[in-house]
Amino acid sequence: MARNKLEFPLDAEAYEIICKIGVGVSASVYKAVCIPMNSTVVAIKAIDLDQSRADFDSLRRETKTMSLLSHPNILNAYCSFTVDRCLWVVMPFMSCGSLHSIVSSSFPEGLPENCISVFLKETLNAISYLHDQGHLHRDIKAGNILVDSDGSVKLADFGVSASIYEPVTTSSGTTSSSLRLTDIAGTPYWMAPEVVHSHTGYGFKADIWSFGITALELAHGRPPLSHLPPLKSLLMKITKRFHFADYEINTSGCGKKKFSKAFREMVGLCLEQDPAKRPSAEKLLKHPFFRNCKGVDFVVKNVLHGLSNTEQMFIESQVLIKGVEDDEDDDEEIVKNRRISGWNFREDDLQLSPVFPTTESDTSKFSPREVDPIQDKPEGDKVVITGSEVCLGLSNRNEEAKEQEGEVCGFDRDLVLEKLKLLKKSLEHQRARVLVIIEALSGEKEERNREEELLEMVEKLKIELEAEKMKTLRAEKESVLS
Amino acid sequence: MEGERKMREGGREEGKVKIGSCVSTRGGAGRDHSAPSRRLSSQHLSGSLTSSATGEPSDQSDLGGAKMKGLFKSKPRTPSDLVRQTRDLFLYAHGSISLPDSKRDEKMAELSRNIRDMKSILYGNSEAEPVAEACAQLTQEFFREDTLRLLITCLPKLNLETRKDATQVVANLQRQQVNSKLIASDYLEANLDLMDVLIEGFENTDLALHYGAMFRECIRHQIVAKYVLESEHVKKFFDYIQLPNFDIAADAAATFKELLTRHKSTVAEFLTNNEDWFFADYNSKLLESSNYITRRQAIKLLGDILLDRSNSAVMTKYVSSRDNLRILMNLLRESSKSIQIEAFHVFKLFVANQKKPADIVNILVANRSKLLRLLADLKPDKEDERFEADKSQVLREIAALEPQDLA
Repeated sequence: MARNKLEFPLDAEAYEIICKIGVGVSASVYKAVCIPMNSTVVAIKAIDLDQSRADFDSLRRETKTMSLLSHPNILNAYCSFTVDRCLWVVMPFMSCGSLHSIVSSSFPEGLPENCISVFLKETLNAISYLHDQGHLHRDIKAGNILVDSDGSVKLADFGVSASIYEPVTTSSGTTSSSLRLTDIAGTPYWMAPEVVHSHTGYGFKADIWSFGITALELAHGRPPLSHLPPLKSLLMKITKRFHFADYEINTSGCGKKKFSKAFREMVGLCLEQDPAKRPSAEKLLKHPFFRNCKGVDFVVKNVLHGLSNTEQMFIESQVLIKGVEDDEDDDEEIVKNRRISGWNFREDDLQLSPVFPTTESDTSKFSPREVDPIQDKPEGDKVVITGSEVCLGLSNRNEEAKEQEGEVCGFDRDLVLEKLKLLKKSLEHQRARVLVIIEALSGEKEERNREEELLEMVEKLKIELEAEKMKTLRAEKESVLS
Repeated sequence: MEGERKMREGGREEGKVKIGSCVSTRGGAGRDHSAPSRRLSSQHLSGSLTSSATGEPSDQSDLGGAKMKGLFKSKPRTPSDLVRQTRDLFLYAHGSISLPDSKRDEKMAELSRNIRDMKSILYGNSEAEPVAEACAQLTQEFFREDTLRLLITCLPKLNLETRKDATQVVANLQRQQVNSKLIASDYLEANLDLMDVLIEGFENTDLALHYGAMFRECIRHQIVAKYVLESEHVKKFFDYIQLPNFDIAADAAATFKELLTRHKSTVAEFLTNNEDWFFADYNSKLLESSNYITRRQAIKLLGDILLDRSNSAVMTKYVSSRDNLRILMNLLRESSKSIQIEAFHVFKLFVANQKKPADIVNILVANRSKLLRLLADLKPDKEDERFEADKSQVLREIAALEPQDLA
């Protein structure tokens, strides 16, 4: 079983890059052929190592996870090796891209239910396997579900996945606690409420929540609450004032599309506030919604046929980047780019275009060894709530956060405060980065109103103040020590 | 001797804890094991029962199991039963007992199930947390005989899923305490040759990640780490961490780092005794490697080693060598900022050394203007007060140096 994998060569010379099909903060994805393997088409994710932290622990875990998992619905790596300063991860090429790109390019109002069930069932198979292996994916969403032209569906991107069997490096104490995780990871719209705020940590059921959100995403063309800024969506979950199950019923009731009872019920189960009430992946597979599910041939005929291919989508999106005006409401594109899921490129509403500007004007000559000029700091892999906060309307968001902060008192205040502080920090960090980029591009960016500029100024000063405080604090500490 | 007796005593007790519904029916037999019974879920139980039903263990002699036999349809399995059965099955897997193919497949499937059951006892499952007593019993039985050796030698015969389970089981067992003793450590101390088998794994793509993970878990025990450091194996790591396959190379690098940082006194002793060849190899094979990631990891690890207080004697010697200084100065000139920054953290030790040998001083003086310029431009991406403070001190120090006569 372990041996049936073909041995892909560990040498850059054996691969011929065809074109770039995706770009992220510290990685790019290429379509390539492996010459000695009968010119098999592959996808190569080239990760810039100079931006990773020196112990490469998270990278090591990710590639190890990818090479040890073996399931038809999981995208694993053929091999990985370093090429100068890049790590190349060679993977199967999924020619139709992600479900996110399929939906946003061809089904902006959502997919038909009988196709959704096919995709969801395949995904659920993958989740069930992962959970059985003791892995949490922690970032399930349409953007991480890849589809090939033959209809095969694979769950991808283990950048933030965690294993409950991964030894806890602290004391030699109990291993049981490792069944629960406590760090915040994922992408806000898809994150389960307990991931955001629970004190007892979270487990496999957090993936089930994200799976439910993904179902809605496929049904409506976007995740719920995506009209809200991501931070607010987090807060809504924290305060529990918003019940997803209700949301689901409401929107499907008054919307133009009618969904079956089985579907609504299935999604409702996934979106239970109490993780214990959500079914396991294995159980969910037995839900009536999946019972009369069609085969993958059905989606090949009805969805995949006639889609433009991945590389085209990417080229189109690159062209679009230049012309598109910033649009308020869709932050998730940026999330994708930062989390490097590679194939989500039909980004016609990509709004933070300055983040990846002019890095490629011609698609013919890309060298994966080259490092893209506009990139930021090594925390790339590690900052977990990252990304989604990056958006130009940021200044309002801070205020919203503060408003909300007032409302949450009485509800485990300390904990919420702590999380908020974390968010705030991340937010400030992101903001600082965006500012740098904006500055670098200020020649091209015309109209930024006065108020925004002032707010930026204030923010900048705040950051400086913060740094200054830290400095004094450290100086104090040192003086005490000496 | 004392320990051995304790173990045997523990062994006698092991019959008490049942993984099976029988525990509750035996009720009142003692407070100590009624607690675990309550915590074990029925799903967990049925899992173990089915696998015990398919393969009767060859020895049913000892334990209270025989006593219970008439009462229940399928014999409940204790964690020790499970380990014993697994051991028997390993013998089939190993090939020491020959069987027709169909029968063999059956045994292998059963073995896979057993290993999975062991895993869920040790880690718990989605329904239940692990039970300390069951873990202790399993651990004790596991190390009472040579189960680990069987597992390691049979690993190549197992399928991928079972290999992963087995690796996790072995990892967990290294941390299990029985009567507040790590019995895995005692076992390994008596079976250090197993480390020789595990390290071979790095050369086999198929096994590397499994053996590698076990290896890393085993060197958590000081005695094992000491053995590896004092053996020829340690030299192999210089090659393993440069293997082309990133998964394996990165795994080897993580293990190498663990070896050289985890057990402070052992590491200090090793470095003191092997200073000459070790740092010569470290320089030429790792710091001057043509492989970016090797240099990057090596310079980071070197910093970690030299900056550790317990290695101060070694550090003092390292920073008195001209050759070492030359290599570090080359790393300072790398185009990768990450490497430059890490190199600075080692370079500063040469400068900060209050008893700099004359030749070191003269090199620094000869390169003074270049160094001052280079360091002035060197800045981490993220603001780092510490770094700046170190840097200005180094700059001052270099600026103030006077050339010295070589004695």
